[in-house]
Amino acid sequence: MAKTLEQLVYDFFRGLPAYTTDMEDTVKAIIDGFDQPVIKKKGAIITELAPPNKDFWFLCDGYLKEIYKNPFLNEDALFNFIPPSNVFVNEDSLFYNKRPQHYYKAYTDVAIASLSNEKFQKIKSKYPAIIKLYLSGTAEIQKNRRARLLMLRMSNTQDRIDWVRNRRGELYKIMDRVTLAQYIGVSRASLYRAFDKTGKSQF
Amino acid sequence: MSYDKDYDIIYEGLAQHVYLETSEDVQVLRSLAKRFSVRIFKEGDALWELSANSGQLHFILSGAFAEYLMDGRVPHLLRFYSKNRFAYSEDLILYSTRPATYTTCLVEARVASIPAGALAEYLMKEKLGGQLLTSLIELSMTEYRNTTYEMLQTSGIHRIHAAIEQFPDVLNLIPRKELADYLGISRASLFRSLKQLEHGKDAGTISV
Repeated sequence: MAKTLEQLVYDFFRGLPAYTTDMEDTVKAIIDGFDQPVIKKKGAIITELAPPNKDFWFLCDGYLKEIYKNPFLNEDALFNFIPPSNVFVNEDSLFYNKRPQHYYKAYTDVAIASLSNEKFQKIKSKYPAIIKLYLSGTAEIQKNRRARLLMLRMSNTQDRIDWVRNRRGELYKIMDRVTLAQYIGVSRASLYRAFDKTGKSQF
Repeated sequence: MSYDKDYDIIYEGLAQHVYLETSEDVQVLRSLAKRFSVRIFKEGDALWELSANSGQLHFILSGAFAEYLMDGRVPHLLRFYSKNRFAYSEDLILYSTRPATYTTCLVEARVASIPAGALAEYLMKEKLGGQLLTSLIELSMTEYRNTTYEMLQTSGIHRIHAAIEQFPDVLNLIPRKELADYLGISRASLFRSLKQLEHGKDAGTISV
């Protein structure tokens, strides 16, 4: 049976390195603060994150594409690929009170739930430990970004493909080739050449 | 340079990360700035090492550093720290665990540092404390985002441009071989791109 929002959010916070058992009440307050999930169909833009949204969003089910405008090619391109049980936000709005440079698109049907910034602030005033969880959650996203940076610095396309297959297996299995090429920062032609060269198929 | 001048610069750096409402806030932040101690780093000196078990928050007054992430036994250049930037290991500051990265001096530097313990005191006791660390972590996350933009460019020239935008001195900080690794392109491709930049329309603005 699929996990409930409560179980998913609880598991997420319990998995953070900063989590300690005395934060149980804080996590309970966070869970209570979440609205019920909404469903978005595959291909839909997550318009709920239109500016000036500073809320915290939890991806309960499905996969999201995080898209940005590539300033060099002046086109929208994949920035990140988000698996279920992750938090996502408008970084520009939340951190700097600016118009977001990124938007989210459902890669599959998705279920998303929000914790409003107003509720977050209320929880913070009663449960200051939420700051530690916030910092820890942010630091974990950073760790993922820096790990991916190492992959993006590999000069060989095949090495990048292998990195995704070995270290992001869940994403590798679900991404189509166009998305995979964007995720590893190579052209589609380079990706196809790499698959042709090894004689391996993606799946 | 006098220490008073250093403290003013550290204070200005800190003040960019908190919202100062009252004169008391200013006083508290000034006294935090005065708890930093200044040290000189020579080329090759470590700002923090993999074996470190106590963290510090550093503010670079001059010079430059490079942070390396270990992947197995291989170090990979992750990012640069230069003048007026804060540098720290999240592992040491947030979790008091051994860091996954180490940071080395590239250009002789003066650095102001405060131990994590003294910083934690400020973070816990002062109302602006929570703001400071939150803002520093968010800034760091934005820097990783910007570096990811660099690396998502499929063309070598675009990567160089994006890297220069983020770290204007990048072409002069590290040897070409390391620069090619940092940009994720072959040395041949780096030299071709640099030549193109030299002869192209950007020659006037980029010194290669």
